Amino acid sequence: MTRPYEERLDALRGDVVSMGDLVVERLRDALTALEDKDDELARRVAEGDDEINSLYLKTERECTDLIALQQPVASDLRLVVASFKIITDLERIGDLAVNLADRAADARQPRFSEVDVQEIGAFAASMVEDAVAAYEEGDVATCRGVAESDDVLDTRCEGANRRVVRELMGATADEPTSELVRDASNLLLTVRDLERVGDHAVNVAARTLYMVENDDELLR
Amino acid sequence: MSDTETETAEKSSEKESAAETVTTAGETDERTRDSWTEYSFSGETSVSVEDLDVYYGDEKAIDSVSMDIPEESVTALIGPSGCGKSTFLRCLNRMNDRIKSARVDGSVQFDGEEIYADGVNLVELRKRVGMVFQKPNPFPKTIRENIAYGPRKHGDINRGLVPRLLGRDDKKKEDEIVERSLKRAALWDEVKDRLDENALGLSGGQQQRLCIARCLAVDPDVILMDEPASALDPIATSKIEDLIEELAEDYTVIVVTHNMQQAARISDQTAVFLTGGKLIEYGETDKIFENPESQRVEDYITGKFG
Repeated sequence: MTRPYEERLDALRGDVVSMGDLVVERLRDALTALEDKDDELARRVAEGDDEINSLYLKTERECTDLIALQQPVASDLRLVVASFKIITDLERIGDLAVNLADRAADARQPRFSEVDVQEIGAFAASMVEDAVAAYEEGDVATCRGVAESDDVLDTRCEGANRRVVRELMGATADEPTSELVRDASNLLLTVRDLERVGDHAVNVAARTLYMVENDDELLR
Repeated sequence: MSDTETETAEKSSEKESAAETVTTAGETDERTRDSWTEYSFSGETSVSVEDLDVYYGDEKAIDSVSMDIPEESVTALIGPSGCGKSTFLRCLNRMNDRIKSARVDGSVQFDGEEIYADGVNLVELRKRVGMVFQKPNPFPKTIRENIAYGPRKHGDINRGLVPRLLGRDDKKKEDEIVERSLKRAALWDEVKDRLDENALGLSGGQQQRLCIARCLAVDPDVILMDEPASALDPIATSKIEDLIEELAEDYTVIVVTHNMQQAARISDQTAVFLTGGKLIEYGETDKIFENPESQRVEDYITGKFG
């Protein structure tokens, strides 16, 4: 027979995974909105942030209640503490998805064709997806894999930034400067946001590794 | 595979889902190892127990327990009812000698001296290794007399019969001991104006602190406590817990408790006994409560046990 306490721990794990799945979905929607210049989809991503925030607050409350009322120890404690931290990262990824969606409206002008935001975005989103799956399954190998992927993501983001700067330097004088600057800064911000998505995915993986093995290797 | 290991392995597979959350499959086997009692600490050893067995008649209550207990710290002994933790505690000042059917094998050394050796002075041993019980047990005497009783008795023994018959001439010294002991037990401010009132008029929490003061009055090195707060309300409990932490600055405190949160709050190291009088895991308290080595200890402290 499962006790109510254990059911609550299982439910907590389920809530964190649901929040993670929702955040990944929003991130992918934001990338689609950016690609298709879909204002309607971008608006839905922005409006959907309230849902993520309320999930965050609800889950945070549940963690506090579990600590105050059940005094979890050992692996139970690590589950609650890790979840408490992970939902903060997921909420931040949700905010970054909104940032991306906000730029969909400005992304009309095809410029900087060498920079593949979609490819970088898909990579970052898959890191989040992997980190959430690692949390759900308690999969240590995937946690380390996410941390390794972050190096790849960082390299791609740096490469993208360099290309933007190079193109800016080579821009012809007859091009309207304000539009060029706007597009360049939008693109740089987008790349920076995706790089941060990767950082948050690593945090999720690091907390998961602590939860499963009491190992703070990735937190250092 | 021994019976115990088989049983543990079965238990482990029953708890598969729980085990999966804490470790990978390869390590689950490792976590079912019989015991994890290697514990190295930096301070001096106060009490050293080696291969201790205790029998009540034919029944084994303690099963080859070995552990070194560091001085000037709090050591908590936890485990389910009947696991032998109180029996173990009572071995440390030979209180089990009072139980006829009890038989003790093995070694307990206190400051390097074997307490089960022939010719050990039990009065002296229990002065140096004091004890506080679950239910406060003050003498039906005044507060002052409760504290002064031990020093008087030990003073009489040290001085011999004649000074006792001639009357005591060290009233001033006695007052000092009473005040110091009551202050040390955080009771002085509450009772300083009523030292000559009967101790049974104190509240339960005050009585328990009086018993601790009585124990301190004879200047022990080790204080054994058997569920010292389980009969007290939360406020009195928290006073006792604060006191235990303070006492550990000067004394070796060994506490048996049923309350795992209490063990987690007050102790520096925790020893987990499980059924059969076996010490399963012994280590730093935060390690035991955050990441125990033994799956059985994990199951016990998270409430999944048995």
